[in-house]
Parts: sequence; C-alpha cells; structure tokens
Amino acid sequence: MTVEATTPSGERMTLNMGPQHPATHGVLRIVVESDGEIVASCTPDHGYLHRSIEKIGECVEWPMVVPYTDRVDYVCAMNANLAYCVAVEKLLNTDPAAAVQVPLRAECIRVLVAELNRISSHMVAVGAMAMDTGAVTPFLHGIAQRELVNDIFEKLCGQRLTYNYVTVGGVAFDLYPDAAAEIARFLDQFEIEMRRFNKLITANAIFRDRCAGVAAVSAAEAIAWGLVGPNLRASGVDYDVRRDDPYGIYERLQVRVPVGQGFAGRRGKVGDCYDRFVVRLLEVQESVRLCRAALAMLPPPADGKPADPVGGFQADVKKLLLRPPKGEVHCRTESARGEMGYYLVSDGTKVPYRVRVRTGSFSAAGIFHHVMRGIFLADVVAVIGSFDVVVPEIDR
Amino acid sequence: MTVIAIGTAADGAPAGPGFGYTVDTLAAWLAGGQAPGAFATGVAIVVAWVVPMLVLVFPLAALGQIAERKIAAAIQRREGPNSAGLDGPLRLLCRAVLFFLPRPRQDRVFERLSALPVVRTVLATARRIGLGQLLADGVKMLGKEDIVPADADGVVFRMAPYLAMVGAFLPFCVVPFGHHLVMLESPVGALFAIAASGITVLALKMAGWGSGSKWSLLGGMRAVAQLISYEIPVGLAVAGVVLWCGTMDLHAIVGQQYRDGALTLLGWNALQSPFLLLLACILFFAGLAECQRTPFDMAEAESELVSGFNTEYSGLRWGMFAMAEYTEMLLVSALVATLFFGGYQSPLGEQWIVALPVWLSVPIHAVLLLLKMLAGFGLMMWIRWTLPRFRVDQVMRLCWLSLVPLCLLALLGLAAQLLCAGGATLGVPYGRLPARLQPDLGMVGHLVGWAVPLLLGGVVVRAARRRHGQMHPALRQLTGGAP
Repeated sequence: MTVEATTPSGERMTLNMGPQHPATHGVLRIVVESDGEIVASCTPDHGYLHRSIEKIGECVEWPMVVPYTDRVDYVCAMNANLAYCVAVEKLLNTDPAAAVQVPLRAECIRVLVAELNRISSHMVAVGAMAMDTGAVTPFLHGIAQRELVNDIFEKLCGQRLTYNYVTVGGVAFDLYPDAAAEIARFLDQFEIEMRRFNKLITANAIFRDRCAGVAAVSAAEAIAWGLVGPNLRASGVDYDVRRDDPYGIYERLQVRVPVGQGFAGRRGKVGDCYDRFVVRLLEVQESVRLCRAALAMLPPPADGKPADPVGGFQADVKKLLLRPPKGEVHCRTESARGEMGYYLVSDGTKVPYRVRVRTGSFSAAGIFHHVMRGIFLADVVAVIGSFDVVVPEIDR
Repeated sequence: MTVIAIGTAADGAPAGPGFGYTVDTLAAWLAGGQAPGAFATGVAIVVAWVVPMLVLVFPLAALGQIAERKIAAAIQRREGPNSAGLDGPLRLLCRAVLFFLPRPRQDRVFERLSALPVVRTVLATARRIGLGQLLADGVKMLGKEDIVPADADGVVFRMAPYLAMVGAFLPFCVVPFGHHLVMLESPVGALFAIAASGITVLALKMAGWGSGSKWSLLGGMRAVAQLISYEIPVGLAVAGVVLWCGTMDLHAIVGQQYRDGALTLLGWNALQSPFLLLLACILFFAGLAECQRTPFDMAEAESELVSGFNTEYSGLRWGMFAMAEYTEMLLVSALVATLFFGGYQSPLGEQWIVALPVWLSVPIHAVLLLLKMLAGFGLMMWIRWTLPRFRVDQVMRLCWLSLVPLCLLALLGLAAQLLCAGGATLGVPYGRLPARLQPDLGMVGHLVGWAVPLLLGGVVVRAARRRHGQMHPALRQLTGGAP
C-alpha cells in the first residue's frame, strides 16, 4: 500500500532505517526507498517490541493488569495507569450496585501525577526531536527536567519508570509529607528552565527552518488518518479529551487547549513538524497550570482515619473486582501521546475477557508512509521525532 | 610607518634553496656549512614539518577531544570526564623505570612519590578534569578490532583515513608559528593551504565509497557536494586578503599586520576594513563547513546517517578520522588567525616581543598562535553544542545564495576601497613585500569606509530579521519575550 512520490531521477535505493539506527532506538524499522536524498516511499515495519500485553490482560485478574499498562507507554506510565483504571471504574459504574467513588484527594493526586508525567514525557519528546535534527544539548536539558519529575515519583511510589501507582478506585499511596511544596518548587524552576530551553531551540532560526513546512498534515487529513492528541491539535483541530469528554476532575479545571497555527511563519504550514513541536511546549505550559490548580484544590488528608484516605486498594473495590458486572466498556483518556482508549469486555469473572488498547502512537505510525513521500532523507528522523512515537504503544 | 620584514633573507638566513628560514638553516647545518644537497634539504623539510606537528598540533588536537567533552558537559550542565586521572599511568611508569626492583618496592616508590604535595595536587587536578580519559580512550581505540566489512573495497577503505590525516596536517606546513618557525615559506602559501586541505574531500569520498554501506555512501556524497561548494567562499575570503596585502605568502601577510606601538592589533587585517571583517567571519563559517562540524555536519549526521562516511570504521582508523577532524578545526582557526588576526603576533606590544632574543620570542609567538587557535576551537565547540544541523538543501542554499554573493560583494567593496586609496596595491606583483605601506585612506576615508558598509549591513540584517527571523506572536511568551 505504499504510494511512491515522483523523484528526480527515478532510480531507487532501498535503505533500511532501523532497528539498529540511532534515531529508531532499536525497536522501529522503516524501509525507505530513496532517490539520493529524496524519499520516494517509506514503509514502517513494526513488531520489534511486541510483548503481548493485550493477551496477558486476558490472563491476569483485573487489578493485576495495571503494572502491564505501565509497559504500554513507559515514557508516560502514569497516564497509562490512569487510562486503564478510569476504564475499569467506568465498567464498575455500569452497575449502580458496584459503583466506585474515587475520593477527591485521590482525584487531585491523579491530576498531579498525570500532568507531571505529561510534562516529563513532552520534555523527552521535544528533546528527542531536537536531537534528531542534530542539536544534542536541548535533549539533555529536557531529560534533566524529567529526572526531577522522576525524583518526585520515586518518593511517591518507589519507581522511576514504571510506576504502578494509580489503582482502581484511587491511587496506591498518599502524597509524602512535603510533596506539595516540592512539586510547587519544581513547577517554579521548570518555568524558568522552559524559557531557557525555548530560547535555545524553539526560537532558533535553523531549527525553525528545518521543520517549517515539513510533513504538514492538514486538519482533514489528520482526522481521516485518525491522529490524536498533540499531533491532531498541531493540525489545527481543537480537540482534547480532557476538555471535550472529561474524566476525573478535569471538568472543574477547565483545560485550555493550544492548537497549531503554522507557527513557523512564512515557510510554515499548519500541522508541520514545527507545529507539532511547539504544540507540545504549549501543552506543557497548560500542564503546569493544571498542576497548580490541582495543588490548590487538594483537600487535606483525612487524619486519624484507619482507612486509606486516597482510595488505593479499597477493600470493597477489591471485592467488586472479583465479580465485576458483565458487559463491555470503552473509555478514553488524554495521555501524552493523545487519546488512549481502553476497550474492556467483562464476562463477570475476576479475569478480563478482553483488554484492548488504542494508542496515539499507533495512529501516528499509520500516517508515516503518507507524509514521508517526497521529503528529504534528513527529515525522516525529524518527522518520526515530531510525531513522538513510543514503540511499545504500537506493538502491544 | 615601519613594517618589519620577517623571515626573509635579510634576517641573516643562509642563502639556500629558498624554503624559508627554518628549513634553510637546518639544511645548511645538516650539510655542514656547505651548500645543502637534495638529501639534506629533504631531511630538513621533514624535520621542520614533523617536529612542530608533533610538538604543537598533534597534542593540541588530542587535548581538543578532552576539551570538547568538558565544554559540551559545561553547556549541558554535566560534569564530563571527572574520574580518569594519571595515577595509573604514573604507577606503570614507576614500575617500568624500576623494573629491577620487586613489585612491592616499586609500588612503595609510587606511593611516596604521589604523597608529595606537588604531585598530589597535579594528580588530583588531572583526575578532576579527566586528563587520563585521553590515555584511556587512546588505549581503548588501539585495542579495538580493525574491521573491514566484507563488501568494502579494501584498498580504498584502508587508504581513506591516511588521506584524511594528510589533508588535515599538510596545510599546516605553510602556517607561520613564529618569527623563525615556518615550515615552508611559499610565495603561494595561501593557495597551498586551500589546495592541500582539499585532499580531505577525496578521503571522505573514498571512505564513503569504499565502505560498501549505503549510509557511508550517502555521507560521502554529501561530503563531496558540501566541501567542494564551501571551498568557493573559503577561496574568495582568502582572495580578499590577497587583494588587500598583495601577496599569497602567509608569513608576509602576518608581517604586514605588524604595527609599532602598544596597540599592535590596530594592524590586524580584520580591523582594516569592514569588508575584511566580513570575510573573516565568512572564512570561519565556511571553514566550519569544511571540517564537517555542526551545524554543517551533513556527512556525519549521526541521527540521520548513523555515522555517515565513518559508519564502518573502527579502532585506530576511526581514531584517525577523529584526529583529522580536530586537526582541521585547528587549521581553520589558525588560518583565520593568520590571515585576519595578526597570526602569531601579540595583540598588544608586539614590538617588545620582536626585540627579545629568538629563543624567547619564538616560543612566545607559538603560544600566542596556539591561544588564538584555541579561541577559534572553543567557538566551534560552543556552536556545535548549541545549534541544530542544517538540512542538505539548506547548506547548499546558504553557500551559493548567501556566502558566495556576500564574498563577491565584500571583494568589490574591498577593491573600491583600494581604488579610493590610490590603487596602492593593485597590480603589485606577487611575492614578498617586506615594507609595503598600508593604503593611506586618511581619517575621513577610514570613517566613511567603516560607517557606510556597517550601516548598510545593519539595515539589511534588520530587514531580514523582520521578514524572517522573528517568532510567531503567539510564541513570544515561550521565551519570556525574547525574539
């Protein structure tokens, strides 16, 4: 189904980009047909990181799927946890007798960790894209910020990569003492760091010209190809699950959604690589605001209560999950890579009948061969970077 | 205004085959005072070239790799190499020197030695700046397997690194390092430097072609296209200096930048005319492209082409490419310094250094040039670790549509300036011009000559920025208001 672009000489050279290629991180393979520096066609080849996560989901009990969701998107594992847990809660809520109430404190913590993880994930995404265009330094500054978020998460749940923190009915642990102050401190320094980061790379004319007009996806194309999340918004489509189909307390936080406007200027187009890059940076700003709002909303911990105040491992939820209501449910949440949809089928037993994940990277990888025709070989890696593909999201 | 003639026969060099003071003196000494034959001259040339290479350039290029890692680390707020010191090498040295003693006594000597306050401080400093990393990397590189891919064209593949080294080191023989320290004083020195560094193109092409890898091939193709293109701005920039000075002899060009008095730097070519300053910048950036450094590292482009032309190289062969790259960076810095920034001369009070005895002034001059080279080197690293890479088409556009026209414009301006000054240098035959006066523009001429081009340039740059350089209004807040 590859469609070839017309190229200057018509002679073709097949290039195997990946899995052993510095820009594809050992897990993605793209077969590029090129005419010198011009790409004629490009076929992604997936499956190098397939670990049967969906199939495993059919073999373990409902709460035990959560650690596996970490592995679906290890760059943004909090959101992956959250997506599954919100879906299971939706399933339980289909039966009024089994309805789960998530405590407000747990909801606030969920927003906090989800948005912090979105920040750290986007910092990796923009940093990696900058590195793909040859600028190494922004990546390290991005990773430095991710490390600070990881420090907070490590104190929170003991893990730095796969957190297993959000549980059905709440979160696993309450915030550690001083956590709110530490998060606030992080956000303050992060804003200053972001200004420096943007001066370094976003405002850089070479970088902007590199990305301007490259692999532009129009709004109609983006919808037709099923792009989601930042990739969709970069094409100018104003849609965010957190605002348009809210879950948790996002409705009360009133998420503001940035969209692509052809930020690269004269040579730029709406939905080009630069727009995808910048939309992530604007989203990070919004995440900082959401974190502050969640901190302000955070109710004090229920002192002296023997029961877990944040709803983690609620005894009644555990009992409910032994015999959940029969039926099927689809639930979408906004992960860092866009809409993450969990489709769960329950046959009333303690093991899911089907766990199906729909991820942002999957639809992004689907458009690769379409947008990469006729571009420069050097831009292939920049385009991969701009779509922010995390390969386990493709191979589940 | 006096201009000192440097490195000419008038300085008392023996009349010889005419390879310059250093070679001629050496050849005469080798021949025992008689007229040196071809053999003595050959040996003298090799010695005069190899010794400064080994003493001055080679260690600097090696240290450059450590410097690069430290500078990159500083820019990225890391520490960089900070553990590998010289303790191990010192211990090994003790054992080697005291091989006749039993091992425990050798080690006791080492411990006594390293307990000395001076040695301890040196060792601690070496550890802190990771000086031992240099040795460790070298040993590691030597120990690596020398892989020649099955598909490679063996001869071409093996020859490429040597050619790259030749292309990087050969041009240095015309670069004057000091009053009497020029390996080869050639009346066509500037041309020779450009021509000799052109060998690198061949080396990169051979590496790309001979590796039998598509990534290498693409890297090699990019290298050829880019290097040949950027030789034009390099050549035009050098032509500007030649036009101004009336000679291609690098030593004579350095000599002409001499001024009496404390402010020697007033004589530097870069400060003689705005066009020369522009050409200096162009030479630096085009030189950056010539040594394949970011933002022009098309041929290596590690995120696109794996590692470009040197993808298939390992061990020492790869090390030779790396060495050639660093040497070439030093070469570009040295050429910019020599042509535009007074070469080995001190910016202040050169006349007092010249008055010193030769054994004192030569090392001072060599160090001064090395410092200027290091400044250029540092600037290149700063650029590398700050900027992203251009795309292939952008590199070509920059060369042909920006740098070349700018060069031609600067040459025109320069020629006009010289004509206004009475055509002092136009038509002067090439060769040594020991005591030529700079064109006397007068105060008004100087002011107009600087002000008009600077104003015009400012207007053009502002217009270009307004048209193209500014961020989208919605994004200004991202940088806190900066453009």
